[in-house]
Amino acid sequence: MAQATTRERFIDWLKTMTFYELLVGMKATMSHLIHYKPITLQYPHEKRTLPDNYRGMLALLRYDDGTEKCVGCDLCEAACPSRVIRVVSAEIPGEPTKRYSKEYYMDMTRCLFCGMCVDACPVDALGMTKEFEWAVYDKRDLQLNKQQLLAIGDRSFPVREKRLELQHPNVAFFNVAFQHVPQKPN
Amino acid sequence: MTELSLRLAVSLAQIAAVMGIVMLTVMILTLAERKVLGWMQDRMGPMEVGPYGILQPIADGLKLFFKEDIVPAGANKFMFSLAPILAMVPAMIGFAVIPFGPNETIQLFGMTIKPFVISDINIGVLYILAFASIGAYGIILGGWASNSKYSLLGGLRSAAQIISYELNVGLAIVGVLIMSGSLSLVKITDAQAGGFWHWYVFAFPAPQIFAFVVYVISAVAETNRVPFDLPEAESELVAGFFTEYSGMRFAFFFIAEYANMVLVSCVAAALFLGGWNAPYPGTILAHIGLESFAWIEGVAWFTVKVYGFLFLFFWLRATLPRLRYDQLMKFGWKVMLPIALANIVVTAIAMYIYNQFK
Repeated sequence: MAQATTRERFIDWLKTMTFYELLVGMKATMSHLIHYKPITLQYPHEKRTLPDNYRGMLALLRYDDGTEKCVGCDLCEAACPSRVIRVVSAEIPGEPTKRYSKEYYMDMTRCLFCGMCVDACPVDALGMTKEFEWAVYDKRDLQLNKQQLLAIGDRSFPVREKRLELQHPNVAFFNVAFQHVPQKPN
Repeated sequence: MTELSLRLAVSLAQIAAVMGIVMLTVMILTLAERKVLGWMQDRMGPMEVGPYGILQPIADGLKLFFKEDIVPAGANKFMFSLAPILAMVPAMIGFAVIPFGPNETIQLFGMTIKPFVISDINIGVLYILAFASIGAYGIILGGWASNSKYSLLGGLRSAAQIISYELNVGLAIVGVLIMSGSLSLVKITDAQAGGFWHWYVFAFPAPQIFAFVVYVISAVAETNRVPFDLPEAESELVAGFFTEYSGMRFAFFFIAEYANMVLVSCVAAALFLGGWNAPYPGTILAHIGLESFAWIEGVAWFTVKVYGFLFLFFWLRATLPRLRYDQLMKFGWKVMLPIALANIVVTAIAMYIYNQFK
């Protein structure tokens, strides 16, 4: 590096003596004061509008006729990286090809809201709501059962999906147990 | 005897008024600092208590009042209790000699009273410097008596820093004293009447501009404010010398810090910026015939100057990072001190020559 010339050194000295660098910094803060535009959101009073794909509280969903979507396949339990979900699957009485979740537990203290259970669900029975204010005084309040999860889904997704029967020939077999599906002729 | 008791009553009323105003200013400052700092950092500052958070100081005060007063195990109880008082009393007591308004006298109950200064003693500057030094004891003792490493380090740093910078404050003032020929703040302020070119920052024959800069920087250092807040460096020493303090004792230290800020601002305004004198000759209110209300203008100018300084404190805090300890000492002893000494020499020579040819 070249030696600083006398002129440059004089300018540096002058800058030191007149607090030039300090004044530059103080001008910056002053300009923020004059062009006061806070980025603060007064949180409890005003809230952000959340994006539609926000990954908030998990919920179990229903079809428009009020029946549960969940078929008790345990895929969410398998997909969950932190073992939040526990499903107890059972057969619907009298319908040997159909199953449902007899019990469904979520330990939300462990959930990391990755959304893998939602992706894994073959019948879209799980949904992520925009709820995030779930601070509780008792940790046990975060151990949710099926009724609570369904209640969250009911209040967060009032518009429910229509129940679609499985029409494709490959899967139409699963519809055999439905009462309104005509019986196969013998 | 009645006259003596009357005099006592009037003095006490004056003291109460000044104390009240100072405490009110401290309350405003705690809020104003957070607000100004917030605005400068694109935040809002306190917004919850009252409209736009203006009742925040009251909430803070109530909170501190009801907090538990903890004395740490192994602390020297006597010193631990004494330190906050030692810090606060000198900060408050300095206001006794500050002239807040014109040097007028009023006749009340057959007595002559100066309404805008509690006590016009002829060693006013010395008095303030002396009590500011005692204030340092509060900080040092508080740091030592807490039986905590952080507090001790804060106290030690504070001791070294205050000694270094008090020297510069004292020497920076000497130029003004040479020019005015008096130690009384009232006389010094009176000598600066008649326009801003008579203020000692700009005054002929020896403008005290360098002394003023030295004074302001040293005053920031002396009140332990950013960028010289090493005694309470929160990123290094938790809270420095008042780490172990809580409740009202903490509040005492807090009030002392802010009262000290107000005090050094008042002294700077009185010594260098003409005190309550307007930057133009006379007063507007006197020109338009309201002679008896001219004091309002004087007090208003004093307030403007003091609050300007206090704003500068906030502004510096929002802008500057903290100095390293060796930088602080180097700056104090190798930069500030020679400038202050040179200023004394130049001022003395200029005043000598000026008086010869006057």
